[in-house]
Amino acid sequence: MMEFISSTFTSYVALVPVTLSQSFILAFVVMGIMIPFRTLQFPDLTSEGAYPLGGCVCGVLIAAGVNPALAIVAALACGFLAGCCTALIHLRFRIHTLLAGILMMTMLYSINLRIMGKSNLSIFGSDTVYNWAPFVTPGFPVSKIIIAGLIGAGVFLALNWFFKTEKGTALRAVGSNPAMAEAQGISVWVSTIIGVGLASGFSATSGALMVQAQGFADVNMGLGILINGLAALMIGEAVVGKQSVWRQLLAPFVGAIIYYQLVSLCLAAGMPPPDLKLATGLFVLAMLALPSLKRGRGAGGTPAREKFRE
Amino acid sequence: MLEIRSARKVFYAGQPDEKVALDNLDLTLQTGEFGVVIGSNGAGKSTMLNAVSGALPLDSGQIAINGDDVTDTPVHKRAKRIARVFQDPMLGTAASMTVAENMLLADLRSTDRTLARGLNAKRLADYKDRLAALGLGLENRLDTKVELLSGGQRQSLSLIMAVGGSPDLLLLDEHTAALDPRTADLVMQATVRAVDTFKLTTLMVTHNMAHAVDYGHRVIMLDAGRVKLEIGGDEKANVTVAKLVDHFAVKTDAMMLGAGA
Repeated sequence: MMEFISSTFTSYVALVPVTLSQSFILAFVVMGIMIPFRTLQFPDLTSEGAYPLGGCVCGVLIAAGVNPALAIVAALACGFLAGCCTALIHLRFRIHTLLAGILMMTMLYSINLRIMGKSNLSIFGSDTVYNWAPFVTPGFPVSKIIIAGLIGAGVFLALNWFFKTEKGTALRAVGSNPAMAEAQGISVWVSTIIGVGLASGFSATSGALMVQAQGFADVNMGLGILINGLAALMIGEAVVGKQSVWRQLLAPFVGAIIYYQLVSLCLAAGMPPPDLKLATGLFVLAMLALPSLKRGRGAGGTPAREKFRE
Repeated sequence: MLEIRSARKVFYAGQPDEKVALDNLDLTLQTGEFGVVIGSNGAGKSTMLNAVSGALPLDSGQIAINGDDVTDTPVHKRAKRIARVFQDPMLGTAASMTVAENMLLADLRSTDRTLARGLNAKRLADYKDRLAALGLGLENRLDTKVELLSGGQRQSLSLIMAVGGSPDLLLLDEHTAALDPRTADLVMQATVRAVDTFKLTTLMVTHNMAHAVDYGHRVIMLDAGRVKLEIGGDEKANVTVAKLVDHFAVKTDAMMLGAGA
């Protein structure tokens, strides 16, 4: 028994730098999930397609010798466009946000394949943004932590500033009460399109950073990323809360770090990797079910059909 | 000034349950005038208000504010000139945001929003002053989320938000109907004070006949989508609840009771 614990611990500790760099990179997807779900009340699944989209765009550009920072910006722009499309599908055709997201991510799969021309692409050995990390030897996980962490800190500060500006307050109002926002002169269309676009842009950025970190792009790299991100978001919110703007913005980062450490711990303890999605799914389900379980069933319990929990 | 010219709106057109909500309605409200709209359920009061605010497009007819045709202007653009208080306190405020943030949103209704910090010290001081006028203690709860306020407090906040910035037109959609009598009275007093102070052009829909008698310059009764009766001037000063109720096609005791007559 002692031996099991010590071997688990040793392999877990050895994984910490790698998982930490992963956490910082995937925190952007979690941010891309948090903004539509929490700020805009627009439950959105586009990230599942925007994340590989960012990866594919970045992979192709880097393989073509484009500057890696520019490749990330291009990925962000493509993700932004994808998000705008999801928002437009919902707004213009009155299609449920979840279905609009599923449509978009399904179509993006083909688009991603078209962009790369094949299902995966190696960019191993190409110049990446991680080679620019100061003070460390390129190629070590620490360089990834530094670069992704710096970008993450920048995004956090920028969003924390933006959401308190006049425009940012208006954007949050659209999520809080669209009818009221409209009556206060705020265009719900413009705000929703920009907000969801921005979120998908973050998901795509995450994909681009991941491709540069792992040295290859794959059309299937987004599989299950949404549920991982949701799990991370819920953990983050449970830890730092969501009462204020900065707490809500910090939750994705804290959640991503804790979630991937937990995953790493499970793997180190010998959990077969194929079971990971089942475990994550059960975890998200448990988190969603908890309030309803606490309330109890039967008298005064749940109505036949309640408003969806999203 | 508000002008509604031969406004027509038909729901379920061509179907068996076709309903003419506005039947070539004409109505003019002078600048600074306080009009009170009454009428039984289905008379077209809400439809009219929604058409004026832009939430509901007209089938035909025009709506003009201060002489400018706004018939095809979307809600968020019309909001530059129109402020509205809804019947449901939940509708008029952003629940998950703070009192100060809600005030800010209303404050920016008729201006272009910038990337400057929203809640600066100057604005916070101004909001404190304006909320203090209500006497509900809201001025000390600027950082409280609106969802934690009572219905009356939320409605009072909606009113303060609406009358700020002197809109060209103030729409009150049975805004005291969901409140208990004491709070309803408080909100109504605050309404009248604001309308008088800022000389606001106001259109108020109400089911409360006592309010229709006591407040406003003119009573407008709608029936089947058109103006059935207008009482203004001296006649308005002498009108009683009983006289008003007499004009309803279907009289109910509830109306008399609701009026407290």
